[in-house]
Amino acid sequence: MMTKRLLDRLPEVFRAAALLLFLLFTVVPFYWMFVTSIKTRQEIYSSELTLWPKQFTWANYVDTLHNTQFPLYFANSVLVTVVSSLIVLVISVMGGYSMSRYRFRGKKAVLLVFLGTQMIPTIIILVPLFILFSKMNMLDHLSSLIVTYTVMNIPFCLITMSSFFQRIPVALEEAAFIDGCNKWQTMLLIVLPLMLPAIVATFVFAFTGAWNELFFGIMFINGEAAKTIPIGLNNFVQKFDINWGQMSAGGIMSLIPVMIMFAAVQKYIVSGLTQGAVKG
Amino acid sequence: MPTTSHAKTNAGGKRRSAALEPYLLLAPAVLILAAFFAYPLLKGITLAFYHYVLFEPQNIYFAGLDNFKKIVADPNLPLILRNSVLWVALTVGLQFLLGFVLALALNKTFRGKNLYQSVVFLPWAVSGFLIGMMFKWMFNAQNGLINYWLVKAGIVAKGVPFLALPHVSIFPVIVAMVWYGVPFFGIMILAALQSIPHDIYESAEIDGAGSWTKLFKITIPYIKPTLIVTVLLRVIWVFNSADLIYIMTNGGPANSSDNLPSYILSQIFNTSDFGVASALGLLMLVLLTVYTVIFLYVTKYEDAGDI
Repeated sequence: MMTKRLLDRLPEVFRAAALLLFLLFTVVPFYWMFVTSIKTRQEIYSSELTLWPKQFTWANYVDTLHNTQFPLYFANSVLVTVVSSLIVLVISVMGGYSMSRYRFRGKKAVLLVFLGTQMIPTIIILVPLFILFSKMNMLDHLSSLIVTYTVMNIPFCLITMSSFFQRIPVALEEAAFIDGCNKWQTMLLIVLPLMLPAIVATFVFAFTGAWNELFFGIMFINGEAAKTIPIGLNNFVQKFDINWGQMSAGGIMSLIPVMIMFAAVQKYIVSGLTQGAVKG
Repeated sequence: MPTTSHAKTNAGGKRRSAALEPYLLLAPAVLILAAFFAYPLLKGITLAFYHYVLFEPQNIYFAGLDNFKKIVADPNLPLILRNSVLWVALTVGLQFLLGFVLALALNKTFRGKNLYQSVVFLPWAVSGFLIGMMFKWMFNAQNGLINYWLVKAGIVAKGVPFLALPHVSIFPVIVAMVWYGVPFFGIMILAALQSIPHDIYESAEIDGAGSWTKLFKITIPYIKPTLIVTVLLRVIWVFNSADLIYIMTNGGPANSSDNLPSYILSQIFNTSDFGVASALGLLMLVLLTVYTVIFLYVTKYEDAGDI
């Protein structure tokens, strides 16, 4: 009896230990990057490694903001990401509504093709897109990235939207219709407000996907003027030996938008996105 | 297509009378994917049969199977394929195991759970570039945190240049990749756990089932469909993923940490031989298709629920 009780309590002990370990496992890399970003150059490269800076400094941030093109990269990233995510959102809401509320010929084929795109290695279209954009004179221009990130994010976001729409009862729309709303009013006043969590989650998904992409950027963008954050920071590496102070400061600053957004919508993501994407 | 629910059909009949509407709503998505995904994909498949080097624009011609012959003759290929398998198996295995434990640990309310989740799920939102950099820095031989701990614990005498050692350098990348992917598994599995009705557990408790029995007899069977879909998607995703390798080791030393996509990237960026790169891409596509078919067949996907 006694041993059985003890055995039954074990999961609780494991649970607490697991939670603690995961927290450490997650936090350490972030912590280390942050601590590096607030150390002096001497301290970063000293043979005596310090877990907290002996001499605290913002110099790496000032340096990155003033002596590199980081602010430009940041602005480019914001522009590319916000524009492509908004396009993805509009297209996915339209397409998702179509997939969830209508029955039509070819619907199943569309769904299969969209799911299939998730399987295809994007690396296969890296070169052909490069050739295509070079013919369209879009290389070295943010438009090439906006188009690419829009394309990459549409299938998943559209399917997700469609399964969110499915969870909103048709009866609601019909009731609004009977009450005299036309189609647009029903959509804007009834359906979309209910869809807000889904819309937020989809936007965040598209946002992080575009914000974080690297290879298309390396392939399409050469000049400084159109570089986004990962591509720009990647250049810190190739040209000189890596300046870890700058790299860490740039890294931390590039994390801020994603972190804010992620913290704000975390609860939608856990309860919403997954249930939308994969039915258990 | 006939439907079982007649009430729904009648009520929605008016909306569906506009037969073009669903197509118009889907048109933007379909058109943009056709132009910038389907067309490049077909182009990429044809490129595999062409001699196409970026810096020889006058010298592009149909080359039959030449590119594939080059691939087969490439002495690096067996190593790259072995690495790809190791990369996928170890990464997905560890991500799955840890993600499952994390989801189990989170499947109960506690104080500060929302904050905890925000922190623990954060790696999911971080760029591969940044993760690669963070771990590259931590595995640094002179100033890296990991070597500092290893020396401190007396495991090694002085810092080990993990990322520069042949056949070792892939493992730090796998560590970073596991770190990256645990939240995804955690989120997916947690969502599935939360869909299990509580009364099942309650009746099991009445029958005297302990925690372990409940785990193996209720939890795992119940969420099996989600586990299957998640692993399927994850294997594909990890197999296709090259950014951490590119950032941390650039496939080196001497291709010893390259997987298939990172090897293709080095073909594109270094030799600019787009023909060979496309042929390797086609090989990837074939491998993935075979994998998916086998996976769906073995796991009897029809029983696993639809997406």
